[in-house]
Amino acid sequence: MLEILTTTLLVAGLAGCLAAPLGILLGYWMARSEFPGKSVVETLIALPLTLPPTAIGYLLLVLFSRGGLLGHWSPRFLFTWKAAVLAAAVMAMPLVARTARAAFAEVDPRLELMGRSNGLGPLTVFRRITLPLARHGLLAASLLGFGRAMGEFGATVIVAGIIPGETETISLAIFQEIQLGNSAGALELVAIATLLSFLLVWTTERLLRRKASP
Amino acid sequence: MIAFDVQLQQGRFLLDVQWQSQARCLGICGPSGSGKSTLLEALAGWRTPRRLSLRLDAFSVPSAEIPPERRELGYVPQDGLLWPHLCVRENLALGCANPELAQRTVAVLGIEALLERMPEQLSGGERQRVSLARAIARQPRALLLDEPLGALDAGLRRRILPYLARVGEEFRIPTLFVSHDPAEVLALCDEVVLFEAGRIVRGGPPAVVLREQDSGLGAFENIFHGEVVQADEGTALLSLAEGGQVSVAARGIQIGERVLFSIRSDEILVALERPTSISARNVLPALVIAVVEDGTAGVRVDARLNEGRGALLSAVLSAAAVRELGLSAGAELFLIFKANSCRLFTSQP
Repeated sequence: MLEILTTTLLVAGLAGCLAAPLGILLGYWMARSEFPGKSVVETLIALPLTLPPTAIGYLLLVLFSRGGLLGHWSPRFLFTWKAAVLAAAVMAMPLVARTARAAFAEVDPRLELMGRSNGLGPLTVFRRITLPLARHGLLAASLLGFGRAMGEFGATVIVAGIIPGETETISLAIFQEIQLGNSAGALELVAIATLLSFLLVWTTERLLRRKASP
Repeated sequence: MIAFDVQLQQGRFLLDVQWQSQARCLGICGPSGSGKSTLLEALAGWRTPRRLSLRLDAFSVPSAEIPPERRELGYVPQDGLLWPHLCVRENLALGCANPELAQRTVAVLGIEALLERMPEQLSGGERQRVSLARAIARQPRALLLDEPLGALDAGLRRRILPYLARVGEEFRIPTLFVSHDPAEVLALCDEVVLFEAGRIVRGGPPAVVLREQDSGLGAFENIFHGEVVQADEGTALLSLAEGGQVSVAARGIQIGERVLFSIRSDEILVALERPTSISARNVLPALVIAVVEDGTAGVRVDARLNEGRGALLSAVLSAAAVRELGLSAGAELFLIFKANSCRLFTSQP
């Protein structure tokens, strides 16, 4: 049980660490830039939210398999903890990006322009004005990403399999226990997953409610 | 010197303005939507115009390509736009180019006691003073002030205006000052331009430009410097520098205090005989100097107090009223207005 919990937190934590910065940058870009075809790009970024996770998993499998575009670059990538992290990160990133976009959209762009007029470059404005003002929303976005990664199943099972101690996260373990007919074990895992999810959603909601305040 | 040339298309609205002036403080007046704020935003780099150049003595912003952080301009918008997550001290420190200047600014604007407060804990007037201090601490080549007193009530305006005047005297920074209020422009600016539908329709000394009827500002203000010679029960008696005395509603004002006093031209009534049993505190004998007709806005009657040797006040009347009273140059009359209709700007913050 402890091994499953540790694997889950490690995989979801690392996936969150990958998805959060990328998702936050994408969220900022979506909130602040205007260009022709922006809606198409936004739809592509959000695609993993609606595509079957198994489809994403299969695409990653093709990409990283021998003969795949990235298979040459990393031949021993599939069916390792790294593949589980990547699959979870890919599934979590759109959720982070969309929540981050909403957080950035709530920051008055004139406050950023005032920073520029006060002699600050765009990066300093982002670091000293935009990020602090959007911090509650961005933390909520990161937590949502972590939660999405923790519950990831479809893509992970295809690229990482169910390897105890390496890729067997709590969602994969529940599936495994059901397959083995161990109802008690499955229910025990469901209870732990429910508790973790409750804490995450509760914290996220509180953060999102505070995000408008300075 | 302040010289600008800006052309900006925004939907159907075209702003196309050029002006060159030797003024240190240039007022920009005009009706809402005439492009005053748009000009400041374009100069600050917040909008992208087709054409832009700004020259201030030895410094210039030659094109719209220069990013806002390299324009060296201090911008104060109507709402102050303080960063809400930083206290006043941090607001002043972020982007501050000269800490010594920042300290001096804090003293001049009287905000020492506010430094540890968050913006949400400040009143409207305090917020504007902090915003002004932040702009000056950047050591700008010019200040762009977009109706800095516009969001404040009359009492607060009266208290903040002297701070703006002190900033002008203390720091000598070229300033573009957008305002709806002729009194503010007269008090602060050396020159004024009038905007209308994205163009400059007139410019020159404020006292001349703002007196003209078709200035687009409606009735104008009669403005005078004066000194308080008597103060009791919410009323003060002012001795005007140009001659004459008026009563104004004012509290907490001291005898000997120097003030700026204003009364709108459409709030002055005219009578040929001294009325009795009247509530208005000011019934002032005056001599008509000129009667100027204007086809659209009415007739302006210019009259001097003290038998033609004192301050010149203008009243805007209807053409019918002027006809019935038979007003013409040389006529004697009484100018009547309430002490409560007068506005007072103290020179001491």
